[in-house]
Amino acid sequence: MANATTPARRTTAVRMSALERLPIRRIILTVLSVAIAAFVIVGSYKTLTLPAGEAYTWDTWRGIIVRGVSQGAIFALIALGYTLVYGILRMINFAHGEVFMMGAFTSFFFADAYAKSGFLNRSPVTALLIIFAVAVATSVGVAVLLERVAYRPLRNAPRLVPLITAIGASLFLQQTARGFFGTNTQGYPRPEVLDGTWTILGFPVDRIRVVVLVVSLISMGILQYIVARTKTGKSMRAVAEDQEIASLMGIDVNRVVVKTFVIGGILAGIAGVLFALTFESVNFFMGVRPGISAFTAAVLGGIGSIGGAALGGFTLGVLQAVGPPLLLTGFNVPSPFQLEDVVTFSVLVLVLIFRPGGLLGSGEAEKV
Amino acid sequence: MKHRRVLRLLALVAVLSLVGAACSNDDTGGEETGGATGGATGGAVDCASVEFGCLEVASGEPITIGTLLAISGDTASLGLDSQAGAQLAIDYLDGTLDQVDGQLLGHDVQLQNEDDGCSADGGQAGGQALAADPSILAVIGTSCSSAALGVADKIFSDKGILLISPSNTNPGLTSEEAHQPFYLRTAHNDKIQGAIVSDFVYTEQGITTAATINDESPYADGLAAAFRDNFEAAGGTITAVEAINSADTDFGALLEGIANGNPGALYFPDFNPACALIAQQAADIMPDTLLIGSDGCLATDFLETAGDAANGVFASSPDLSVFANGDFYKNEFIPAYKELVGTDPTAVFHAHSFDAMNILFDAVESVAVDNGDGSLTIPRQALRDAIFATSGYQGITGTITCTELGDCATDVTIGVFEAPGWPVEGGEPDSAPVFSETKSLDQVL
Amino acid sequence: MNPRRLIFAGLIGGIAVIYLGLVGLLAKFAERNLIGELVTGSRAMVAAAAFCAGYVATRPRVVAGELQRVDGARAGAAGALVGATSGALVGLSVVFVDWFGLDRIRDIFVGVSPDLLDFLSFGLSIWAAVGVLTVAGAIFGGLGGAFRSLDPAIRRPLGNAVVITLLMALLQRIVPVAMQEVGLDPDWLYSPVTGGLTWIGAAVVFLVSLGLSVAWMRRGDRVRASVRTITQEQPSAKVAAAAIVIGLLALIPVLLGTVVSDVLGTAMIFLLLAIGLNIVVGYAGLLDLGYVAFFGFGAYTTALLTGATLNTTTGAAAPAISLDLNFYVAIPIVVMLAAGAGVLIGAPVLRLRGDYLAIVTLGLGEMVSILITSNWLAPLVGGPQGMRDVTDAAIGGFGFREPHHFFYLALAFVAIAIFVSWRLASSRIGRAWNAMREDEQVADAMGISTTRFKLLAFAMGGAIGSLGGALLGVKLGSLTPASFEYIVSITVLSIVILGGMGSIPGVVVGALVLIGLPGLLREFEEYRQLIYGAVLVAIMILRPQGLIPNVRRSRELHEEDRAQDKWASDLSGDEDVAAPLTPLGEGAG
Repeated sequence: MANATTPARRTTAVRMSALERLPIRRIILTVLSVAIAAFVIVGSYKTLTLPAGEAYTWDTWRGIIVRGVSQGAIFALIALGYTLVYGILRMINFAHGEVFMMGAFTSFFFADAYAKSGFLNRSPVTALLIIFAVAVATSVGVAVLLERVAYRPLRNAPRLVPLITAIGASLFLQQTARGFFGTNTQGYPRPEVLDGTWTILGFPVDRIRVVVLVVSLISMGILQYIVARTKTGKSMRAVAEDQEIASLMGIDVNRVVVKTFVIGGILAGIAGVLFALTFESVNFFMGVRPGISAFTAAVLGGIGSIGGAALGGFTLGVLQAVGPPLLLTGFNVPSPFQLEDVVTFSVLVLVLIFRPGGLLGSGEAEKV
Repeated sequence: MKHRRVLRLLALVAVLSLVGAACSNDDTGGEETGGATGGATGGAVDCASVEFGCLEVASGEPITIGTLLAISGDTASLGLDSQAGAQLAIDYLDGTLDQVDGQLLGHDVQLQNEDDGCSADGGQAGGQALAADPSILAVIGTSCSSAALGVADKIFSDKGILLISPSNTNPGLTSEEAHQPFYLRTAHNDKIQGAIVSDFVYTEQGITTAATINDESPYADGLAAAFRDNFEAAGGTITAVEAINSADTDFGALLEGIANGNPGALYFPDFNPACALIAQQAADIMPDTLLIGSDGCLATDFLETAGDAANGVFASSPDLSVFANGDFYKNEFIPAYKELVGTDPTAVFHAHSFDAMNILFDAVESVAVDNGDGSLTIPRQALRDAIFATSGYQGITGTITCTELGDCATDVTIGVFEAPGWPVEGGEPDSAPVFSETKSLDQVL
Repeated sequence: MNPRRLIFAGLIGGIAVIYLGLVGLLAKFAERNLIGELVTGSRAMVAAAAFCAGYVATRPRVVAGELQRVDGARAGAAGALVGATSGALVGLSVVFVDWFGLDRIRDIFVGVSPDLLDFLSFGLSIWAAVGVLTVAGAIFGGLGGAFRSLDPAIRRPLGNAVVITLLMALLQRIVPVAMQEVGLDPDWLYSPVTGGLTWIGAAVVFLVSLGLSVAWMRRGDRVRASVRTITQEQPSAKVAAAAIVIGLLALIPVLLGTVVSDVLGTAMIFLLLAIGLNIVVGYAGLLDLGYVAFFGFGAYTTALLTGATLNTTTGAAAPAISLDLNFYVAIPIVVMLAAGAGVLIGAPVLRLRGDYLAIVTLGLGEMVSILITSNWLAPLVGGPQGMRDVTDAAIGGFGFREPHHFFYLALAFVAIAIFVSWRLASSRIGRAWNAMREDEQVADAMGISTTRFKLLAFAMGGAIGSLGGALLGVKLGSLTPASFEYIVSITVLSIVILGGMGSIPGVVVGALVLIGLPGLLREFEEYRQLIYGAVLVAIMILRPQGLIPNVRRSRELHEEDRAQDKWASDLSGDEDVAAPLTPLGEGAG
């Protein structure tokens, strides 16, 4: 047990000064930084100074930014689940995207039935509450099962081991959903109240996006409250600090971990339904891309930090929306939006090079 | 020092490959003689002298037809749909679609299903597995052009096994330089669909600016390109060429960018859910733009996903209603399909695969030799010649006439349907297209 | 035996069967005859679930420090209870489906088809089916329990023989074709009517494999020992042994036919990738989830250097940059470029460890996938349409595209990669990697330049991965982006994990099991990813050192085992690494 935690402390003590002595790395880094800075400046300049007919108008830019922010809200919501588990267990629950998918997919069958019977539009609040409850229950069930079967036996194993299990579990759950529910994409009904737009600060925003944003912020608040103020939160933080000492202090580590997964499952269930309502569809691979994006967002913001997940989510959303047209159009790169993930991951690499702990992280990624 | 090591390694490669050469050459020689002697025992036809020999079906044994379709992964709905079409053709051998398989010349017909993985490596592995099985008469496949082009089409043609694709639409497959002798398709060539959509937008609707969005599939890429070529040739202007990843869900920023160029029409020949999500989000962002998808979009999924935003969205698709068999398709085929699969059709190519099986059955009936004892002898080269000679066959996808280069859907009628009047469940199954045009291959670019 | 435990085990077994039904496996294999017409694929699965549940539930327990031995009768009875519970649960679920309405359930679970219900009810009335399922479950569960109580000297050969017989039965579309290709008559072994093994064939296969297995149990150690002494004492024997091995390998395509050669060819491409990833993950301990990047890089660079053309909708076109080098001239260039790319990618992300490195490498893999599909690079690599006319690496007119020719080329590449990897492992570099993997700070303090060695691992991994890409081009003749997706990285990782991190023989076995076996049993294609997922989880939990562990590595794991009480306590337990027949059985067991 002691083995598992000491290297982290050693890291801080030694700080690997050897790395800094080596020119290869520094040369590559310097060249890379200069090249990227030049690329960003030249690219933006060229894009913004395109002749009138080709350049994006201010309205277009504003629209792109708004879209980016609303997409960021969804990333932020899913990223909370990653960050919570990471914060407590120092493990990336790679299967979180699949937990999210399972919740959304199961709730679809209820939502579909309610839509067909008209219940969904007659009393949308009740219907949505039931739908959310189903999704949350499923996601919590899957998350807890996952913890019990796939992660608990490996609690004290080297860090790479549970990560590999998580990748396996994610593939397994995804393919299970494919076998159970089929390969088709199902249209997820949305109550009419959530259709259409609300005008905020002078421009129209989809209602569902506003709901997503509000729910994300509320979830963040509640999560922050639970972790910082409640007894559960205190024991969670204790477990995060040192499992062994926490257990010596009379904390049931297993229970705390299960609670962590329960909360993660609740977040995934809520996010799943909101995602399904936003895009009005569910399918068996719906967890993959949002999962990777949200995961990236969590790392970008500083994984383990709740505020970081939010910041990372919004940053990523805006980056994916604004980055490709701003940087690439000027260079006449065809179909710039196709390359959004290239831009995203480049930024992720850059952030991690210069701030290894992410934007709001502790600045220290070298924990093993 | 390092050079010498590399040289040594290279020498090792060379030696090993020479050893390989020696062994394999013997092997190939042996195979050919074996094939010839095997063929000589085959009944009335002189199987020893014809190229590729014959397929013997003993009394009581089934005739095996392979399928090489995308039955796993993201594109599984495409392949499983075609597979169901093939299965229904076997069902229909007795003249009714009653979930009871019919017989061909007194023999059961069974499918041997392989996966083309919608990729070149999938086509190769599945193709080799089927080609090595001497009991395979012909293969229905592939789903994806990339699995066929230069891979499966070559493997089967080398063995004298027919490969009939229900859904390859890539023009390259039947081009002069690439066509393989045993490859043919009942799917329409993308060039035709692209040209007809261009006619609809430019001529019929009088719109002169357009943008396209395609996903990463060769299908969408090829169709978008065919549309652009024809649209620009007609005098139109393309304002944006964008591409997406089919697993993406949010296209807001992309569509804002496209809207900047004010295109009169947006063509997005993709698959659902991406297609529906584009339509849904585009309806908000560019309400005045004509939205048009392809046969990949035309599905119940689309209408459910896009909801109200679907109304007014166009989609091009083979127009099955104009043919004499339209009623059969609607009233018998589709209910049988639902009975078999449990869901609605997930793509349009079940019809093409049904027709592919039927022209194959006709060809078998015309060349198979009944040996009198209940066994059949089917000469492979003659079977190929018979199916390539198919002319004027009335299938559910239209009149089928095969060209020398393997394009059997030569005169293709493509209809453009306006949602909610789409001929799928959730739409209006009896709806007629708002625009319909028949073109043949030599009329398009 | 605690009855609650037994019933719990039985319920897990029943849930496993229900899972197999829901996911579609039972309906899919209901018609696949394995032996005669009695043993079908689905029946074998259901029986195996009951058998495994009975077997696992009667595992001897340690009470008060002593291993409790179980006698056969009690274990059999306990197993029967477990099996009966499983069977009854499955039966009741059938009753439920019948009562609730098949169509309503099928609206949700698409796998619940009339075929599945027919299969599970044996064409009997519903309640009679419950009885049959319960009794059958009891029988197989009881057998499982009884099997547990057998002496290992009998149990292991028996188990091996059953597995081999079932495997031969599953290979019903491969073996007869291969037999025909070499001129043998397969009809006595495989019935042309049912498709599966005949009863006589099954008996012969069973007895032969049983005999061989018993003989190996008795004499195996001695044979191994004598081979070892001979090779140690007489260097010339080593050469002879190597010659025999190479000779046998060279005969494989001739003996086993096109399909097996083709599958082995694919397996060897992945083996090459796994050898490369093994250096990064197994030796240096850096988790790389984007290994596909090097695979794609190698494939496309080789194609461009050797004059492949772009695939377009109208035929072919020349890429923007294209050389027309000979394949064997191009390969060293590709390898060097890939090693350089490895350094370039490695340098910025080096300081990140563990999970952060994983997400960054995952991102890099995605970037390569996107770039080769993109319209931006389409003039160079063809975009979604890909490339065609890739060289077949012919030497003097002898091309390598034919599966049995390709086998030799792949074999040569793999041999080189194994040699390099093996020499590296036992060199100073390999020891440095070891030290670094175990404790980076200590390694650093000992004067090992961790940066250089990490970069070297990335470079070596990249170089070998690019060779795999080059081979893929030779094999297929055309390249499309679909061959270079994220799942490739996961597949290669699964191979390394299954075989045993850091173990070359392990990686070979891993590639054969995860690529070769599914390649031969192509019906499982749809479930391949499901099986990979299950393998990753099951191996990490049950046998983290892999099938064939690296000796040194496994010692380390055992030490951790002692230090960290709970984890990996099953290391020395029974080798229940089942065939990929019952993926859940593995996870649940």
